[in-house]
Amino acid sequence: MALSLEELEAAIIEKATKSPKPQLYIKDFYKCDPDAKPRQIKNVANDLVKKGELMFWSSGSTTMYARPDRIKDEEGSEGIN
Amino acid sequence: MAKHETPLLDELEKGPWPSFVTDLKQQAETKPECWDILGQLELSYKDRITHWKHGGIVGVFGYGGGIVGRYSDVPKQFPGVEHFHTVRIAQPSGLYYSTENLRALMDLWEKYGSGVTNMHGSTGDMVFLGTRTENLEPLFWDLTHDLKQDLGGSGSNLRTPSCCLGESRCEWACYDAQEVCNHLTQHYQDEIHRPAFPYKFKFKFSACANDCVAAVARSDFSVIGTWKDNIRIDQAAVKAYVDGADGYPSNGGAHKGGNWGAFDIQAEVIDLCPTQCMWMEGDELKIDDAECTRCMHCINVMPRALRPGAQQGASILIGAKAPILDGAQFSTLVIPFIEVKKENDFEDIIDVIEKVWDWWMEVGKNRERVGETMQRIGLPTFLSVMEIEPLPQHVKEPRSNPYVFWKEEEVPGGWDRDIKEFRKRHAM
Repeated sequence: MALSLEELEAAIIEKATKSPKPQLYIKDFYKCDPDAKPRQIKNVANDLVKKGELMFWSSGSTTMYARPDRIKDEEGSEGIN
Repeated sequence: MAKHETPLLDELEKGPWPSFVTDLKQQAETKPECWDILGQLELSYKDRITHWKHGGIVGVFGYGGGIVGRYSDVPKQFPGVEHFHTVRIAQPSGLYYSTENLRALMDLWEKYGSGVTNMHGSTGDMVFLGTRTENLEPLFWDLTHDLKQDLGGSGSNLRTPSCCLGESRCEWACYDAQEVCNHLTQHYQDEIHRPAFPYKFKFKFSACANDCVAAVARSDFSVIGTWKDNIRIDQAAVKAYVDGADGYPSNGGAHKGGNWGAFDIQAEVIDLCPTQCMWMEGDELKIDDAECTRCMHCINVMPRALRPGAQQGASILIGAKAPILDGAQFSTLVIPFIEVKKENDFEDIIDVIEKVWDWWMEVGKNRERVGETMQRIGLPTFLSVMEIEPLPQHVKEPRSNPYVFWKEEEVPGGWDRDIKEFRKRHAM
C-alpha cells in the first residue's frame, strides 16, 4: 500500500462523495491506491461500512458501495413508489 | 387483504403436477399477504412485466449479505407485498436437518415472515421469501441466538459453500466433502458475510464424479472426488451380474420391475464407456485404467463389482456459471488430482482458492464470474497465473483446438528461424 490506512480511507470516502455515479463497485475504489492489493481495498471499504461512512446496496447478485446520503433507498423520504 | 381474481394463474392449477398457485392460496388462509403475491403476479402476467423492484440497502447490522431487498412497484394496490425481502439461511452440510430444527425454522418464519420458502435455492441455502424491513433484525437475533444458525451469502460475497452427503452415507465418496465444506465455511466467514469480489463466487464439493451437488455446472470452484490408481474389481461379482444372480441387480436395482430384459454388460457398460477402455476376456472384465476418465458409469451400473480406486482425492475445476452472460458453462478442469487432507487444514485447497481470488479480484471486471474472466483472458494465461504446467487433461480436442500453445521461451531457438536454411530441408 502506498497510502497509509487513514489516507486510503480518506481517498475512498472522497471517491464515493465526488464520483458522478452515486453507487460504486469495489473495483471502482482500486484506483484510490493502485499499489494496494484488492483485498486490502476491500477490507478498508468494508470497515468504512462498519463506521457508517459507506453503505452497501445489493441487488442480490452484486453489491455496491455508496455514501449514506447518496445511496438509492427504496424506503427513502419519498417512500416506496 | 382482499382476495384477488386470478384467472391466468388459475390455469396453472390445472393438470396433474403440483402448483405453487395452490400452495400460495393455501398459505393465504393464515398469511393474507399471500393474496397480494398472487394479485401482483396476475398483474405481471397481464402487463407482461415484473412488478418487483429488485435490490436495496436492507440487511442486518454487521453483515453485507444474506438478505435480498425486494419491493413491489405497485404497493398501494398490493400492500401485503410492499416489502417482500428474501432471507437466505445457511444450510447444514449435506442438507442434514433434524425435524426439530425444521419445525423451529418454520415457526420462526411464520412469526416474522410470509411462511413461504424455497427449499433450496441454487446456492443451497434455505430461502425464506417475504418479510418486512422491521422484521429483519428480530428474525436475525432469534435465528442466531435461539437456533444457533446463520445467514448465507448473497451479493458479491462468497456464497454459502455446499456439499453432497459424502462419507456420511455414500460408499463412493473419495474425500470427506462435509468436513472440507464445514472447514472452509468457518475459515471464510468474512468473505461469506461481507462483499469481497467483483461478483458472486461459489464453492461446491462433490465427493465423487456423480456430482450430486452439480458442482461442475453451478460452482466457480468445483471440488470433485476422484482416484489416482485403478478401479477395484471383484471378478466374481462381475460374473454374478452377468449371470443375473440374486442380489446383483444392475444400477443397484434402480430399474427393477421395468421391462429392461436381462443385464447386458456389453451394451450397458462396455459400449457406454466414454473412453472405450473396457473389454471382456472370458468371464473377466478388463480395464485399461490409464485411459479411464473416472466418469463413474461402470461403477454406478455394477456397484458390487466395481469400486473407486484406493488412492483417493479430488479434481479441481474452475469457472461454471448460469446463463446470464455468454450462456451457461461447465467448470474447466484445472487440477486433475489433489490430496484432500484434514491434517493440514486443507491448506493445499486453500492455496488454490486464494491464488484464484487474488488474480480474479485484480483482473475480473465488475459483474464478471471467474469463468468469464478465464474465457476472456484465455486458459494458457490462467494456467500460468496458477503456476500449473499444461497437461493433456486440459485439452478437450487436441486435433481441432489445441487450446494450450507453446511460448517462445519454451521452444529451443525461439521463433527466429533461418527460412532459407529451413527450405533447404523442407522444399515447398
